[in-house]
Amino acid sequence: MSNSLNYTKKRIGFPRMNLLTTIGCSLFTILIILSFGASIFAPYDPLEQNILSRLEPASSVHWLGTDVFGRDTLSRILHGAQLSLIIGLTSTGIALILGTVLGIIAGYRGGWVDIIIMRIMDILLAFPTLITGLLIVAVLGASAVNIVFAIAITLMPNFARVARAPTITLREREFVEACRALGYSDIRIMAFHIFPNVIGEVVVLASLWTASAIMIEAYLSFIGLGVSPPTPTLGGMIRQGLDNILDAPWVTVYPGFAVLFIVLALNLMGDGVRDATDPKLRG
Amino acid sequence: MKKLFLSSALAVVLMAPATMFSSAAELTLASASANVGQLDPHISTKSQDKVIFGMMFNGLVRFAPGSMSSDSIEPDLAESWEKSVDGLTWTFKIRKGVQFHGGYGELTAEDVVYSLTRAGDPDRSGVSSDYSQVETVTALDDYTVEINFSQSIPSVLGIVANYHGGNIVSKAAAEELGENFKGKPIGTGPFEFQELADGQYVKLKAHETYFRGKPEIDGVTMRYIPSSSARELAFKNGELDLFQGTREDRWIERIQREGTLVDVFQPGELRTLHLNQSIKPFDDPLVRKAIAYALNRDELVAFMGSTIARTNPSPVPGGYLGHSEVVEGLPNNLEKAKSLLTEAGYEDGFTAKVAITQIPALLTPMQVIQAQLKKVGVNVELEVMEHSAWHKAIRDNVSAMVLYGAARFPVADTYLTQFYHSKSTVKTPTAVTNFSHCSVADAQIDGARSEVDPAAQLELWATAQVKIVEDVCSVPLFELQQAWARSPKVNLGFDFNGALSLGPLINEQTTKSE
Amino acid sequence: MLNFIFKRILSSIPTLFGVLTLVFLLVRVVPGDPALAILGDAASEEALQAFRERMGLNAPLWDQYLSFLGQIISGSLGYSMTTGEPVLTTVLRVLPHTIELTLFAIFIGVIFGVPLGIWAALKRDTWVDYVCRIVSLIGLSFPSFLTAILLILVLAIYFPIFPVISNPGNSASSHLYNLILPGLSLGLIMTAYVMRTARSSILNVLSEDYVRTAKSKGIPRSVILIRHVLKNAMIPIVTVVGLYMGLLIGNSVLTEIVFNRPGLGKLIVLSLSQRDYATLQGLMIIYAFLVVLINLITDLAYGLFDPRVTYS
Repeated sequence: MSNSLNYTKKRIGFPRMNLLTTIGCSLFTILIILSFGASIFAPYDPLEQNILSRLEPASSVHWLGTDVFGRDTLSRILHGAQLSLIIGLTSTGIALILGTVLGIIAGYRGGWVDIIIMRIMDILLAFPTLITGLLIVAVLGASAVNIVFAIAITLMPNFARVARAPTITLREREFVEACRALGYSDIRIMAFHIFPNVIGEVVVLASLWTASAIMIEAYLSFIGLGVSPPTPTLGGMIRQGLDNILDAPWVTVYPGFAVLFIVLALNLMGDGVRDATDPKLRG
Repeated sequence: MKKLFLSSALAVVLMAPATMFSSAAELTLASASANVGQLDPHISTKSQDKVIFGMMFNGLVRFAPGSMSSDSIEPDLAESWEKSVDGLTWTFKIRKGVQFHGGYGELTAEDVVYSLTRAGDPDRSGVSSDYSQVETVTALDDYTVEINFSQSIPSVLGIVANYHGGNIVSKAAAEELGENFKGKPIGTGPFEFQELADGQYVKLKAHETYFRGKPEIDGVTMRYIPSSSARELAFKNGELDLFQGTREDRWIERIQREGTLVDVFQPGELRTLHLNQSIKPFDDPLVRKAIAYALNRDELVAFMGSTIARTNPSPVPGGYLGHSEVVEGLPNNLEKAKSLLTEAGYEDGFTAKVAITQIPALLTPMQVIQAQLKKVGVNVELEVMEHSAWHKAIRDNVSAMVLYGAARFPVADTYLTQFYHSKSTVKTPTAVTNFSHCSVADAQIDGARSEVDPAAQLELWATAQVKIVEDVCSVPLFELQQAWARSPKVNLGFDFNGALSLGPLINEQTTKSE
Repeated sequence: MLNFIFKRILSSIPTLFGVLTLVFLLVRVVPGDPALAILGDAASEEALQAFRERMGLNAPLWDQYLSFLGQIISGSLGYSMTTGEPVLTTVLRVLPHTIELTLFAIFIGVIFGVPLGIWAALKRDTWVDYVCRIVSLIGLSFPSFLTAILLILVLAIYFPIFPVISNPGNSASSHLYNLILPGLSLGLIMTAYVMRTARSSILNVLSEDYVRTAKSKGIPRSVILIRHVLKNAMIPIVTVVGLYMGLLIGNSVLTEIVFNRPGLGKLIVLSLSQRDYATLQGLMIIYAFLVVLINLITDLAYGLFDPRVTYS
């Protein structure tokens, strides 16, 4: 994909999608409050098993029914959402930092450093995201920290690519030349002069990749390599519910919608922010 | 792009496997496994493969169809047999006119010699150690085989029955195909191998010249569908005739209400919680005892249901020769558990790291156990692993407790030796599956193995079981039987109470009505 | 152009080589024992040891690596450690299913996504635009297994129209019948992606100078739309389709699992759980090769739509 696609020349209209962004932000805020306040809002202990009330449908006692161990689905969704958000945000954060640093180094240094770094990124991209995550978790074991690491590695190449492109242009700009003339070290130039100019573009994409991260976490749990029980995770709940989908679909479907809402909120926000800051990518 | 379209369209047309819809005389089964393993009866010991072997192979003797009791053993490829007074020399008369699949000719004593020798060769067999006491196997003539043992073993008929290494393969085929035998296994059973698609299905077709008569069923397809709801829906859609069910009463009752038959059969897999004495604090007998008091078998059984599961406090599964009914486990008593923990110096409880597979059959009961132990302050930190990684991890002795469930050859010796003899301790050169580092019953296990008097042998096995329970090497919890759903149209042709092949045995008696 | 293709393939060799090495190492550091996974837990220790010896797993790592490379260079992907079947045969059996599913999803994506995208662009900032955008955002926020589960619940359980397990028969109609639900579950997500891209690229082209010039010249709207706008807007659409084709092949694994459909992704997960190194390596190489191939085809496709692109 070396051919540059400069099909956009002009700024097109003003984003009147503030409404959507507002919806996204409010939805996200509500989700954050609900999930991080899970221990206050959840009606039950998410771990408490009750053999006598297994797989009960929604009722006034259990608003979203119970799972195969008789645990309250709503409480587990709230706690699970919290974990999903924590994993999604931290893994994207790590991917952002690693990817941006590598991208800037590759773009700024050019030559063989560039070739090596970007080849490694290409290799990582040649694996299916899910499979890379799966292999890493299988190697390291399924713990929250390892899952964060696995997701960060799979997302990192995307940030590297985004950070590298503007760095190449910036490298040739007068102020960078000036810095070099003043004898600033490369590290200093990269850290204090290039990084601030690149980071904006990268951060804008971060909310969209956070959505991906949350999705990958759910997929890993779904395959059975998520955070260990009894910790509730959304993907894990979906997986466990799938065996009883014929007589108790709620165990599967509600956590599924929880994933949907979180990802949607992030996408709405990301979309809005992207529109506002970069008309080229508007869509 | 266009090319890609064309080639895939072409591929779609070319690929088309033979018909997969079940017709009048075809049976389609669905296994809960994701894939078939190595289709060589001497190599694979995996349960999903045993079902297939059961339909394709014969042994010298067999467990009567539908039974897994040693009393039911009857002639199969051998017509008769006799043993010497010391029990070390056995002579088998081979049935005449038995034909192998695929035109590999008539079975002779040479095939039997070849098969049993092959079963004892670790290069070509996964179960070679079962045959380590076999000294010689010789063909006295075309239809007579003599087996000499270096010392007596608990069940001679067991190792020549239609199970693992006892399955007789064609010498000509095995020598001709070598490594590829697993791609085209040749036996004498009612069905012969036809086709395999990795991760999808295995197809068998009727063996026209089967010695008990040509099967009524023309072909059997075993499909691999890990999702239980997918199997059930496909069954309702008429795409399946039999399928591996969910081992829970709730499910059994529901599906029976809809008019489907459910076969609940032996062997029960004994779910046992092994307590690893090499990891603190399980070296302390008081702690192990406290765990036993904290566990609640009745609750675990209630979770599965009493049709499919039943409590078993003995370390040997019920129905196995030598299983002792007199063993009494410690009752559920939280007070007692707590006071024992206090006595051992753990009044605030402790945390144990436990590896567990992601497979629900073990993960689900483990989560119940986790909740039960929590009540006495024992915090079980589960590390859920991918199934193969878990198998490796527990053999690497990293888990403080190991929840394991297995079906073995139904003689007490196999279970006791593999799980409780010090020789089988994990991380030793002779390791099998002694996860607890138990060694209290070595003498009895060894003694029973070479004991010629059956009564004395039973006595030794019973003592071994009592000792293991007293020392709390493990906490045997409950047995989980097998469950397969079956369309009322399918008549197996025998009473189905047990199958060592862990699945329904489709043979020449099986019929399907329209 | 041939020269360009040749160069592209040549330049992807280091990437493929890196993938190869990484695959080789990764499958070997995943904890687990192929012998135990393949022979079963009742296999004796001596038999496990014999199996490892037979499969060359006891050889030093560099030795295994060299013979692995030698095998690849000689054009063989090796033999499955489980079934003994050549890995290539296994791949060729499942690949059509994966390609079929991917193409069907893309087909759905294009026939729904492009018109909707155009519509939304032409009706920019009206309710049509908003609804399309919100729906497409919801579409790409859907976890693929949730789409699959909902489709099964609705179209196979509550209204039993389609089969639950994808069980492709030998006739074309039964193939299509089995393809519809899994195809839809991936296709709906694809539609969301294509729609967004179509909308934004149409908007971009509409603001181009030459379009405005054409308008001012009084050329009919429909002619402008077809001759100028659509043709130019196709480039980003092709890019997105190409980009997601690679993603779809890899991420169809969840769809394949839920629908119990044979496919590349599902087989990768399966051979990972069996620790069948040979099959796993072969599959990953084929997958990486496909990704490289699709990127190449995507690049070539630009030329069809954009005469400015030359392959040099």
